[in-house]
This record gives sequence, structure tokens and C-alpha cells, in this order.
Amino acid sequence: MKGQYHIIVQNKRIHYELTIRRNITLIRGDSGTGKTTLVNMIEQASKKGASSGISVVCDRPCRALREDDWDIILSNTHRHIIFLDEEGQFIKSKEFAAAAKASDNYFVIVTREDLPNLPYSAEEIYEIHTSGKYHDLRRMYQEMHQIYSPETLSEIVNPDAVVTEDSNSGYEFFRAVCEEHNISCRSAEGKSNLKYTVSPVSKGTEQTLIVADGAAIGPEMSILYQIMKKNPRVKCFLPESFEWLILKSGQIDGNMLWDILDHPEDAIESQEYFSWERFFTALLVECTKDSYLRYSKARLNEAYLRGRMKQAILDSVEGVCWERAE
Amino acid sequence: MLKIVFGDIAGAVYHPPTYFDNQYEDEWITDPLSVEMIRDIDKSEVVSANLIQSPVLGPIPVKEISGGVKTLILMAFDTSGWIFNASACGDNCAKWIMAIGRKKDLTINLHHVMDFDGVEDFEALMVNTGKTVHSYEEYLVEAISIKER
Repeated sequence: MKGQYHIIVQNKRIHYELTIRRNITLIRGDSGTGKTTLVNMIEQASKKGASSGISVVCDRPCRALREDDWDIILSNTHRHIIFLDEEGQFIKSKEFAAAAKASDNYFVIVTREDLPNLPYSAEEIYEIHTSGKYHDLRRMYQEMHQIYSPETLSEIVNPDAVVTEDSNSGYEFFRAVCEEHNISCRSAEGKSNLKYTVSPVSKGTEQTLIVADGAAIGPEMSILYQIMKKNPRVKCFLPESFEWLILKSGQIDGNMLWDILDHPEDAIESQEYFSWERFFTALLVECTKDSYLRYSKARLNEAYLRGRMKQAILDSVEGVCWERAE
Repeated sequence: MLKIVFGDIAGAVYHPPTYFDNQYEDEWITDPLSVEMIRDIDKSEVVSANLIQSPVLGPIPVKEISGGVKTLILMAFDTSGWIFNASACGDNCAKWIMAIGRKKDLTINLHHVMDFDGVEDFEALMVNTGKTVHSYEEYLVEAISIKER
């Protein structure tokens, strides 16, 4: 399934509005904000229709999925928006992740668990904001130019050290940039290792910038956010992916490229690409396959480290200054 | 003392709201501690053991209070020996978990790193590692080192 969907769920007393852009959306946050009520209303409306007294307005059918026979129901449900509440332990299983990956449905999951088997985006983690009977979703993690911080940033980040999630092309690019500017750079060799590379206890004045794929960093966000809250010298730069940065640089020719980058949700078929960074990699490989910029994720083509190309990629890294502060 | 166990363990209730709906006692609801927790978390008032006044939903039965408050009430009053999954609680429940843990030995199960930031005089035994932590920072460092969720 592809596309963005606006959903309105309401009865006489309560009104929810949410917009879903990707295959996996998480809702978490404080107790008492109406998360379970939302899933219960979706369930009642899908079972009893208009006779439930609940109105669900959406271009796709919405339904809830409970623990009983979830796998059978899921394999027979197509192009729905499926809501799951935290009561089912199955949502953290590898079996559910495999079924979700193969599915042509979108999922809205209410849970505080990290769900490391699911590659969801930092942008698609929401909490419910309540004002009287009206409930809408707000992003949990504040961002400015893909720079994530517990506070709204008013200053450009000026890192002394960079840690990348990537150990291949993305790391090679940032290592080269950091070497030029006398900034230390290392790879965490995977997103789940990032939390071990920074400390919640601030030591010295060194500012560390974590660079990771925002499209799939969701499972690590809760802990990284808590680290950033205690140690303001840690910041996260979370573009969709390194390949997305290259595509955004303006140096790549591609059919309808800017339309796709402006509205990826209209181009990315969730059944084909479990998370968006895989799509952007495939798109970059396709766009560059017959040129000197031929891209490989495993090893960085040196053309990306030369003059105008390198600068164009860095220019698309908004909010970061690579010159060392005096 | 508050004791925290991360990950799947025997004797734990993964979804405490279901257990609560089937096991709660009327006197738990009208206890001043529950009245305070329901007021703080759900912004609702306990009218009687069977009726809660919600500002959004109107008068509701006890079974419609939030999963977080149900879990807190179980932590405070249930004596069955079950260990309750505190990942059913939002961070706005953290101070209440600590308050209950100060009054009695309370073991909770977590499947995520709960944010105890701002909880006064935080202290807990991290059962997975056997270390007692005396601040949120110590807890966070220790919790990150624990692989089980």
C-alpha cells in the first residue's frame, strides 16, 4: 500500500484525528490520553459499522487486530489500516515482523516497547495531544532540519565527534569530511549499538553528533532521547538515509525525482520496501547506474568525495557546521 | 524498595489492565491513594467504588480508567504475588511507582526503558544486574547495559 491517509474517528463524546504516512506508525506517551479508547473505537466500528454509533472517516478501511488468530486474520486482510493495542505480546515477535513485512496493510501500533524487529521512522512516533473532546497526534521527538534534540534548537550544531550508524558508504563519506575538519569519526556498526557510543552523563565539552537513518531508527529513539535529555552535548542528525541526502543534493538526475522526494509516501509501495531507506537506496542505484556517479552501498564511489558533489551533499545537511569551533 | 526486572520473566502479568478488570476490589478504588492517582493521571474523580467522573467521557465504570492507573492500583494493593508489567504505564506514572516502592517491596517488570527523570529520591534495585541505583542517571546507564527487554 502507498499514500497518506487522514483518519477521523468520533462518537458523541470524543473525536480523534490522525494522518498516517507510512506502513508503521507508533503511538505512545502518557497514560490517560485515550490510546486504548482509540483502538477500542476502531474495533467496535469495524465490527458493527454505523450501528456502533462511531464514525470512522478514511479512504481505507480501518480495523483492530487482537492476539487471537492474528496471523490468520492478517493474512486475509489487505489494504487496510490496522490498529494494534499493547495487550498483545505478539507485536514484538519475529513472526509478526515477518507478517508485517509481507503485508500490504499499514499498521498503527500502541506500545511503549521498542519493537526492534520493526524498522519504523523517528518521524512516525506520536503521542496523543488532548484538548477537551478533541484528540490529535503530535510527533514525540522535536526536530529541526532532521536534527533531533529534547529542546528546540536555536543554534547550529558544531560537532567535535561524529558517530555513524552506517559502516559502509555513509561512514566513508562522513569520515572523509571529518578528517578534513579534524573531527573524530567512528562507526557504531549498526543502529542498536549507537546507545553504547554515547553517555547520558556529560563529560567535558565535546559535542557528539550521531548520524543515523531516520527512516528506521525508531526502535532506538526512546533511549537516545533519554540520553540527549541528560547530556545536552549529544545530538542526533537523522535524515531518511545517506542515500536520501545524496538524492536531495540536487546533483542527481532522475525522472520525477523531486516529486518523489517531496511526497515519498505516494511512490513507495510498503510491501516492496519495508522501510523508506531501502527505497532511497534502490532509487539512487537506479538513477546513477549509467553514470560516473554509479552508487554502491557497500563501498563509496570516490566521485561523491570530490568538489561540487561533496559540497552539495554537505549543503543538504542542514543545521550542522563542519568547521571546528575555536 | 523498588525492584526492576527487564525482559520476559515467569510470574509476570504482561497486560495488567485485563487482570485488573477481573480481580479489582471495590475498596482499592476508594482508597485515598487510588483517588489521588486517578485524579493525577486520568484527570478524573472517584465518585464511588463503581463510578468515576471523567471530564471527557462523562460518568464511566471503573473498567474504563486508563491502563496505567489500573496497573498502579495493582502495584499498590494486589497481594497475589504477580509481578506487573510497568510498560503498561506512561512516564506520568513513574513518580507513583516510586512512591509505592517507598512504602513496600515492589517488583515491577519492564519491557522498555521507562523515563524516571524528575522523580525525587529515585532508588531501585536492578534485578538483572544486582546493582542498586541511586539516581535516574545511574538507572539509565544500567538499563542501557541490560540486553533483556
